[in-house]
Amino acid sequence: MHVWLKKMFEFQRQHPVAAVSRALSLIRGNLITIIVFLVVGARSESFPFLWWIGGGFAFLLIVGVANWWRFLFKVENGELHIKSGVFVRKNLYLSKDRVQVIDITSGVLQRMFGLVRVDIQTAGSTSREAAIDAITIQKAQEINRLLRADEYADESEDQQFKPEEKPHKEFKLPAKELLIAASTSGSFGIALSILATVFSQIEPLISESELFEYLFETLPSQTDFIFFLTVIVIFVVFAWLLSFFSTLFSYGNFNLTVKENEMVITRGVFEKKRVTVPYNRIQAIHVAEGMIRQPLGYASVHLESAGYGDEAGTGSIVLFPLVKKSEVLSLLDEVVPSYQKEMSGLALPKRSLRRYLFRSTFLVTAATAVLYFWLELNNWIWIIPLLALFWGWLKYRAAAVAWAKGAFIFRSRTLSKSTAFINRNRVQNLTISQSPFQRWRKLCTAEIYVASGDRGKSFSVRDIEAETGIWLLNEMQRRKGSETKSEPLEKDDRIIELPGWNQAAN
Amino acid sequence: MKNTPFHKLPPRAIRVWQLGSSIGNLFFFGIPAVYAAVFGMESFHFWIVVTSSVIIALIWVFSVAVLPYLSWKNWRYAVDAKEIDLKRGVLIKNRTLIPLSRVQHVDTRQGPLLRWYNLASVTISTAATTHEIPALDEVIADRVRDQISKYARLAEEDV
Repeated sequence: MHVWLKKMFEFQRQHPVAAVSRALSLIRGNLITIIVFLVVGARSESFPFLWWIGGGFAFLLIVGVANWWRFLFKVENGELHIKSGVFVRKNLYLSKDRVQVIDITSGVLQRMFGLVRVDIQTAGSTSREAAIDAITIQKAQEINRLLRADEYADESEDQQFKPEEKPHKEFKLPAKELLIAASTSGSFGIALSILATVFSQIEPLISESELFEYLFETLPSQTDFIFFLTVIVIFVVFAWLLSFFSTLFSYGNFNLTVKENEMVITRGVFEKKRVTVPYNRIQAIHVAEGMIRQPLGYASVHLESAGYGDEAGTGSIVLFPLVKKSEVLSLLDEVVPSYQKEMSGLALPKRSLRRYLFRSTFLVTAATAVLYFWLELNNWIWIIPLLALFWGWLKYRAAAVAWAKGAFIFRSRTLSKSTAFINRNRVQNLTISQSPFQRWRKLCTAEIYVASGDRGKSFSVRDIEAETGIWLLNEMQRRKGSETKSEPLEKDDRIIELPGWNQAAN
Repeated sequence: MKNTPFHKLPPRAIRVWQLGSSIGNLFFFGIPAVYAAVFGMESFHFWIVVTSSVIIALIWVFSVAVLPYLSWKNWRYAVDAKEIDLKRGVLIKNRTLIPLSRVQHVDTRQGPLLRWYNLASVTISTAATTHEIPALDEVIADRVRDQISKYARLAEEDV
């Protein structure tokens, strides 16, 4: 294979495995479409099903191979040049002095062939990314050497090969915490929907099978209701198992290394993921307390980073999968000392509670009533609106805003309670909005946008005092050095300490 | 609170929006038309077609005669050396502050309708969101754009 003897300054192709990994990523990207297609296909009788599946895979492979063939890269004069695209030729140039992060990772497929994947990101607000899917480790090392700015020239990115400067701090996820994280993970819904799809696939097969008949016969109480309940319970258990193992595999071997001006997060059992986040890209930090995790006193910590997107294009990165609520602040002090993490803020006024309760129960109650009379369900169904009422109250309790010199904390709840720390110099925009009803009640909604990946993310708190909205706008407009008083007036009991994790009562 | 004056949009904006929504919202009359084509005009289908047409006609009249004026009346913008301040919204009032140091680029845009009235809109993009000041006078729009990009360059330096 003379291809492998090529010098770096000559155009070359990736390892052929890249064709397969491309095809796989296409499947992953269009999973929903494919599943829908399969469901429709399985339903219709006259459909030459296997032909279609076979043809589809062949097509994907051809696309993958074509992409691999047309993908050429070289490094010359400190510049990475990538040509790609089957019909439309794309040229991408990344020059050495703009390169900020080089991540070398390996997925399952790459590892089977002893290859690695290289992700390169550039600095700046309009950061660009390039990825080389499958090349040998030696080549990756060489690219790394050629593209890192001179002060890094002798420092290898991959710890397996050269010992590097002593990192400042390392954090790992203990096994106990990992297990708790996996068993309380919120990827339930996703797992459920996957299961539902699979079930709808095999359902015609099941209903004709003898096993199903047998189950039907032997189940106690012949009511459909009990049977459905059983099916639902089985579903939930399966979904839980699915989310348990997926979390276990994706956050196993978790390691967070805090360095001089960047942090490196590696995680994953089979599919190793590695993310490097330079500090100057961190836009916001938010701590999520899930429904199940909150009573246990645990939370997960996430950060929003600009210019680095995952497959979905968002820049949300899990900074720590699971940590005790009481330890969050000390952990953040270690990792991001520049953030002000405690300030006094304002909870919501009493008159907002009505709006929260109404919002969370209105639709649910209406739907329940319709179902109740229509399907003649039993009275237990009315638990659902009560739960919704409770949920509304929880949301009201969670909502709070705080601001201090050049920093904000926004706390709110959808399902999980989220506390966001945002520095003023990272705010892309602040929007205060007021519907007619809010005007009447002298309330408003505040929303802060920060950059995240190649788009934005927003944190909002609904139904705060209209006056608080004005304070927030003032805080946003405060000039450097000008000392306008922007503390809330010490006039009522709504002043609380945020985030308040160290107090028992929360 | 603030010493920068807020500006209104030019009154011609109302005309443009009236024209735009009078044409654009004609599309909604397609709904009863399609319904009639599918279900015919017999018995109660006839009444469904008639009532929906009447409702859509009322909405259309409102969106042409009233709404543009109200949106124009509620639109305010202010640009100074530190931030862009936008107020808008008829029922739901919005106020947005964009720090100039976060502005990535500013464009002016002009569709055929706006060009007919010598208007242009200014689009402000940050890393997270895109905002638009719709229907400014061409000359003013260029001025606002230049002003914003000048301020943004200055703001970059003192962050």
